[in-house]
Amino acid sequence: MSASPLTHPAVTPGGSAALRLLGPLGRLARGLAILLAVFAAWEALVVLFGIRPYYLPRPTVILAALVQTPAPYIQGFLRTLSETLIGFASGALFGIGMGLLFFRARALRELVFPLFIVSQTIPVIAFGALVVLWFGNTLFAKAAIAFYLTFFPVTVNTLLGLESVDPRQEALLRSFGASPLQLMTRLQFPTALPQIFVALRLASSLALVGAIVGEWFGDTVGLGVLLLQGMYTENVVSIWATLLVSALLGTGFYAAVAGAERVLVFWGAEQ
Amino acid sequence: MTIGHSGLARLAAAPDAASASSAPAGPYLLEMKGLSKRFGSVTAVSGFDASIAPGEFVTVVGPSGCGKSTLFNIVAGLEEPDAGSILRFEGKGCHAHELLGKVSFMPQRDLLLPWRTVIDNAVIAMEIEGRSRKASRAEARDMLPEFGLAGFGDQYPHQLSGGMRQRVALMRTFMFKRELMLLDEPFGALDALTRTMMQRWLLDVWRQHKRTILFITHDVDEALFLGDRVIVMSARPGRVKLELKVDLPRPRSAELVTSPEFIRLKRIVLEAIEEEAMKSFLASGAAAPQTDAMPEVQP
Repeated sequence: MSASPLTHPAVTPGGSAALRLLGPLGRLARGLAILLAVFAAWEALVVLFGIRPYYLPRPTVILAALVQTPAPYIQGFLRTLSETLIGFASGALFGIGMGLLFFRARALRELVFPLFIVSQTIPVIAFGALVVLWFGNTLFAKAAIAFYLTFFPVTVNTLLGLESVDPRQEALLRSFGASPLQLMTRLQFPTALPQIFVALRLASSLALVGAIVGEWFGDTVGLGVLLLQGMYTENVVSIWATLLVSALLGTGFYAAVAGAERVLVFWGAEQ
Repeated sequence: MTIGHSGLARLAAAPDAASASSAPAGPYLLEMKGLSKRFGSVTAVSGFDASIAPGEFVTVVGPSGCGKSTLFNIVAGLEEPDAGSILRFEGKGCHAHELLGKVSFMPQRDLLLPWRTVIDNAVIAMEIEGRSRKASRAEARDMLPEFGLAGFGDQYPHQLSGGMRQRVALMRTFMFKRELMLLDEPFGALDALTRTMMQRWLLDVWRQHKRTILFITHDVDEALFLGDRVIVMSARPGRVKLELKVDLPRPRSAELVTSPEFIRLKRIVLEAIEEEAMKSFLASGAAAPQTDAMPEVQP
């Protein structure tokens, strides 16, 4: 098959046979075990070297704080999750759409693509101020920043993926009388899919960054807000607790995207 | 695979009247006259003349880079020949692009879509035509055994061997029911043993489905073994160097290739090819020769 310009994303097929035998449940158990081990080591190190809580609190203290006042963390989690999801979904759809459009309309691409690049050179912080002016302190302001960080890699990779189509494959389908639309749905888009998922996985973490940074411009709920509050009140435990919740959100979201990839791009082994 | 040759003696597959060189404008399926194609400063094909009668199996051999693939791309409708070329299909003059969707084309590589099962790869041409998916799938399922793919209908291409992938590609070509089939070195990438099996199998399938086949190959044995007629192409720019009727009995079995008659024909073709291979070798200077015929050169 044609060599794709970027590294191929999918899990290597040969991978670890033992891991595949474990199944998703086994993998989850393994992940939890590793996490527990890290927490245990962390706890031990803090106690052993007498590290002051100001620098690094013990994980048990952090977890206790989470359990004692879960409400703000759950609220923050849900709020930031919705911002991330809306930003990610709109950015992914827009990015794929623009990729398709640029692929079909070369003139448009030469006209608009440079603007896309310029837009990405603006630091997200500067852009965030504008977005708050436009949307106010709404959920959509945060989603807009997540969108801003998301759409560009998706556009670029969609375009790359579409252009990696084997011309001989295209000639074959054309010889069967395929229309441009049939070529798109039956050949070009599926060929681009692995490449698109590389960008989606990247975008999943970028969208979270966008949402959290967006919250710093002012809001009352959200993980970013909790981080700011923790910083101002020097509540180190709260900062760490928020960090853990953010990590949970980020990892979970990434895992969901990677899982979707494994299902949708099941042929990834070939190429 | 079904490679039985018992029964069925000498099916008159070859159109008897098609004495190639001197035939009048008969009821040909495809006629090419003065076919030429330039790419920039390179003339790939120049003044190519050939006609193919319905039901005929015509093989095309030639040194590498002789414009065989350009020729095929024109007949498949993918490339327009230069002005002055005459292309007639089913008795009517036409542009190459009008042949899109009218000719069943199989390129060198199997080009299976990795996200489609064997069945779904086989029916893609019918799907593009807008035929019902269900009906074409059922038809494909019935055809699996004939193509040696029984039980593999729901596998994905990466689960198949090279020979099987090639058979899926052939099945796809056969399922796109067009009178004329273009096969561009379909067995080129297979090992020698699989290759001879596939050749005999192709003859069986051809006999049963009654199609007209234009078959490109590098391999003189293959060209003679399969064809009713062999067209030897010249070095670039490609035109017809030699046209040879292969009057060997059908059905053809493996021993045929050692028969004196086969050897006689092979000598004629090899001589013609050697001359051309030499030309293209000299023309390409120190570049790698890649001519299959070279080692078998006879003085």
